[in-house]
Amino acid sequence: MSFIGFVLSAVAVASALGVVIFRNPLTSAFSLIINLLAMAGLYAAMGAHFLAVTQVVVYAGAIMVLVLFVLMLLNLKFESKRRFGIFRTAVAVAAGVLMFATIVPPIMAHFDTLSTFTLSENMTKSEGSVKAIGTELYGRYMVQFELSSLVLLIGVVGAVMLAKRKTSQIGPRDGAAGGAQ
Amino acid sequence: MVELFVLIVKVIFVMNLALGLGSLCTWLERKGSALIQDRVGANRAGAFIVSANPVINVLLAPVRMMGWLGVIGTFMCDPMKGIWKEDFIPEGASKFLHGLAPIVAVLPIMLAFAVLPLAPDFYAWGYYIHPRVAPIDAGLLFVLAMGSVAVYGIAIAGWTGNNTFSLLGSLRAVAQMISYELPMGMVFVALIVVYGTLDVYNIVEGQQELLWGVIPKWGIVMQPVGFVILLLAGMAETKRGPFDLPEAESELTAGYFTEYSGMKFLLFWLGEFAEIALFALLLALLFFGGWDIPWVTLPKGVWWAALLGHMVLMAKVVFFCVLQIVIRWTLPRFRYDQLMNLGWKMLLPISIANLVVTAVAKVML
Repeated sequence: MSFIGFVLSAVAVASALGVVIFRNPLTSAFSLIINLLAMAGLYAAMGAHFLAVTQVVVYAGAIMVLVLFVLMLLNLKFESKRRFGIFRTAVAVAAGVLMFATIVPPIMAHFDTLSTFTLSENMTKSEGSVKAIGTELYGRYMVQFELSSLVLLIGVVGAVMLAKRKTSQIGPRDGAAGGAQ
Repeated sequence: MVELFVLIVKVIFVMNLALGLGSLCTWLERKGSALIQDRVGANRAGAFIVSANPVINVLLAPVRMMGWLGVIGTFMCDPMKGIWKEDFIPEGASKFLHGLAPIVAVLPIMLAFAVLPLAPDFYAWGYYIHPRVAPIDAGLLFVLAMGSVAVYGIAIAGWTGNNTFSLLGSLRAVAQMISYELPMGMVFVALIVVYGTLDVYNIVEGQQELLWGVIPKWGIVMQPVGFVILLLAGMAETKRGPFDLPEAESELTAGYFTEYSGMKFLLFWLGEFAEIALFALLLALLFFGGWDIPWVTLPKGVWWAALLGHMVLMAKVVFFCVLQIVIRWTLPRFRYDQLMNLGWKMLLPISIANLVVTAVAKVML
């Protein structure tokens, strides 16, 4: 089990680097898809089948298809080299370091269980991971779950608002001919 | 060791089943379309084999028969031609992505067969055997996930074609597939609510009972609206029937695989026909009781009952393959706005309403 885990981790890290390094946006998008699939493989190797399948359905199957769709429609060429000011670079580096510093301590705290790529006993009970996730999500994490759905709703409304504003800019702006067409 | 052996046997069986059903659909499509359009269809290859020796001549009669039926032409000559044909890669296309696309289009469809049960569980030589490769508890979602991964093959194919027809075809295909995945998922959720499980095997087992002791508790009885939605969404998902806009010959040459030739081209077709078979299998398992024969209770865990169940299931699968092919050759093509309206304004709201009604009924009853 841990051999598969290490191989998939290597694939995940390499493809994550590829997302940043490749200059062609489409190749970057494909690297991201490989990264998401490798993560799904990691979940599956740990026995969390439901999580793995959900990862594929939501991220690889829906979100990345839309990203790919947009990239193909925009027909972007190779990204031209852009120079950023010193302030921007400093902010980016600081954010990266902060992120890294936040992620590393919890990983180090559970390093012994993480390095064997196994889940704790009560997560792989014979009950089935679907049931376990469901009871956790609608029991202990109910408020967080509802809050995240609210955030998604805000996102949808925001997207609709942005799309609407664009069409009204194209059309005549004075109210007289607003509803003519 | 025995587990590994059983697993390998199962993998070979399921792989052959998927490929075999795919090729069967190819033949059904060619001969069936000929029947519907009042043509003869494939009937040349092998039909004229004669021998001077009268004994051998009699022995060759089945070969001639298969030749007349187009079996030799479809199963042997066409793949041979595909293998020997020049593999043409358009100028400026990435060789790697061009080769990757047909694999990505076919592989997920084959993988989806891995989680679907093909017969009831049975005992053989003291071992309890599940007739499916991967008994995971989220089987139904896995099929959905694989369906959405197959979209990438089509997207890559259209992109690497370096051709407007290919790109337009693949854009149409991707938009169509992600639109129709939503109602499909909603129908799956409604089924999960009805049978209380995500596992396809348990859904089939739940359909073995009788409703009020009279009607079989099949999916079509419990979810008639869901069946209609899944039939429409599945036919759109396989990009066939009245929904074959991504490969509309009269508009886009061949759509996303315009720039493909030889075996890569055939792989796309094989993927499409395997998808038809997969979808027929899903319909049979989810809505028509799988291996259930109405009002007949077979003993559990016996090998002959499992074999009989498998044959019953396969009969249902072939029926749905034929149904899809007949629909595809009978109805004219949709317009693109009609396709999108059907998906987003009709099927999606109806499927959500269906889910709500199902959930309320489940709680009330």
